[in-house]
Amino acid sequence: MSTGLLQLQDVVLGHGARSQAQHTSKSFSLNVSPRERLAILGPSGAGKSTLLHLMSLDLPPAMGSVTFKGRVSADWSVAELSHHRAVMPQNGQVAFGLEVHLVIALGRVARAQDPCVAAIVAAAAQLACVDHLLWRRCDTLSGGELARVHLARIFAQMWDVRDSLILIDEPLAALDLGLQVRILQSLDTFAAERHHAVVAVLHDVNHALKAFDRLVLVKEGRLFADVPSNDQAVPLFERLYGLRLESLRTADRSLVVLPASTRCQCP
Amino acid sequence: MSRLRTALRAKPGWWLVAVLVFLSGLAAQIGAMPIGVADWLALPKLFGLSGFDDPTQVPAAGSHVLFNLRLPRLLLSLLVGASLGLSGALTQGLFRNPLAEPGLLGVSAGAACAAAITIVLLGEVTATMAASVRVWLLPFAAFVGALTVCFALDHMARWLAPGSISALLLTGIAMNALAGALIGLCTYLADDEQLRNLSFWTLGSLAGAQWLWVGLFATLLTLGYFRLTRLRQSLNALALGDATAQQVGVDIHSLRKQIIVWVALLAGLAVAFCGMISFVGLIAPHLVRLWVGPDQRRMLPLAMLVGAILLLVADTFARSIAVPAEIPVGIFTALVGGPFFLLLVRQTRGRIRGETRGQTR
Repeated sequence: MSTGLLQLQDVVLGHGARSQAQHTSKSFSLNVSPRERLAILGPSGAGKSTLLHLMSLDLPPAMGSVTFKGRVSADWSVAELSHHRAVMPQNGQVAFGLEVHLVIALGRVARAQDPCVAAIVAAAAQLACVDHLLWRRCDTLSGGELARVHLARIFAQMWDVRDSLILIDEPLAALDLGLQVRILQSLDTFAAERHHAVVAVLHDVNHALKAFDRLVLVKEGRLFADVPSNDQAVPLFERLYGLRLESLRTADRSLVVLPASTRCQCP
Repeated sequence: MSRLRTALRAKPGWWLVAVLVFLSGLAAQIGAMPIGVADWLALPKLFGLSGFDDPTQVPAAGSHVLFNLRLPRLLLSLLVGASLGLSGALTQGLFRNPLAEPGLLGVSAGAACAAAITIVLLGEVTATMAASVRVWLLPFAAFVGALTVCFALDHMARWLAPGSISALLLTGIAMNALAGALIGLCTYLADDEQLRNLSFWTLGSLAGAQWLWVGLFATLLTLGYFRLTRLRQSLNALALGDATAQQVGVDIHSLRKQIIVWVALLAGLAVAFCGMISFVGLIAPHLVRLWVGPDQRRMLPLAMLVGAILLLVADTFARSIAVPAEIPVGIFTALVGGPFFLLLVRQTRGRIRGETRGQTR
């Protein structure tokens, strides 16, 4: 019996009424260990965000159980859970154009006594490279700036805890390459210092291969594969996306995957 | 000029309190009966605070007017205005919508509707009750009516497109229409005396102000303010969206229920004692947002002060423009509020246009 961070037991990714038989055939189990880096990949609509919602204990599981730090989802209060896991949303629109420093401070709203909140907000903003935006309104920010503000909010939320969980939902969509790399690096540094585990839903296979140790592939609402992040995963990518892929090694021995030059057949 | 603006922005509460005190003093002097300094000085006697030195010396008519009519009315307009401002700020925070307001969304109409039903349809039942119970029946009915509409709105807002301004306002139109239809039915079935009572509710008036009501509203506002003060930061978290607010540790279900109950209490009781007074809950938070921004920690107290000033000014106009007759104050707030609302719609048209083109936010 592993004493991991997060255990999903016999869960399914579907919603709504389905037959019991369908449920059991699509059910799977998944464990996340402390300090692990896990990337969730898959085609659009496969259920990646649903899996992330399950892992963040947002909703009680329709089937099976989700155990986080030894307690099932029903045993966690909303406030206490926020001290142990943080979620970065895919679309972080903020109503009313609240100011950035306020949004970052909201990461710590569930703490009763918080004397250092101003210092933590400033430090988190600096780590996420938004300290020059602290007094701007959120509705005047670009998509990339807003993503970094939410990253700062996550940093503030998990600033003074260790061995916990950070979940990211496709944060790099619609960001330029430089920003994508910088965000992943800030996140990696932050999580490494505090021994947090990171689970991220990504589109870019190469980001996943470079920055994450383990890959969970999701296709059509079921777990397709759960593999370490190395060149063994490439044939699985080909089956996942229905593409021919070429893999290359760069000078520093990291793996890069590209679509092959042959035309792909539409399914 | 910018130094003045910085000074204004830094301590807005104190500025507003100063304006409020000044306008209150002015309003006390305005009216059919002229009030002099002697009348003000005679007040403590009327409050029973100092005995009569000379039993034959009766306070002048002016001080009676001041004590029995003008002061309670003035204080009630401040307190009801503050309640409406506060309930407007809470409604906007709850629905994440700068155009939300208890009047527009049908909460006030629901309260008036419940009061109308109590007056007309339950007339025989209530006649048998003791007078002390009957006095509190209408405010209770108004509260229940407001609460029903609030819960219905919250329910609907959940499965409408999240954050959609138009969908929420359309629901408000439906609520107003339904409540209006029921009030119409009650009007049709009412006898003359009931009819006179009913028309008071739909127009809004502070004419019957009593010290008891002043005490009640003061208590309500104090309790409400201290209770809601602790929820201000959680209310800010709602602006992040339901999912994110939950993920940062705010129990949004419990928070929503509390906010709804307080909106229903504040708006419902305002209707119960003063009839439907719309738009104060829309204008006050909007002005505060323009001035100091949307942070609920500043919004709630400042919306109360701005709401108080707005209703004070409106009521002073209402009772002094057509002396000795009185225009119901609800007409004034609607006359100003209607065009103001159109202006707001114009300002947020970019967001509304985005919705009608099918973009999700």
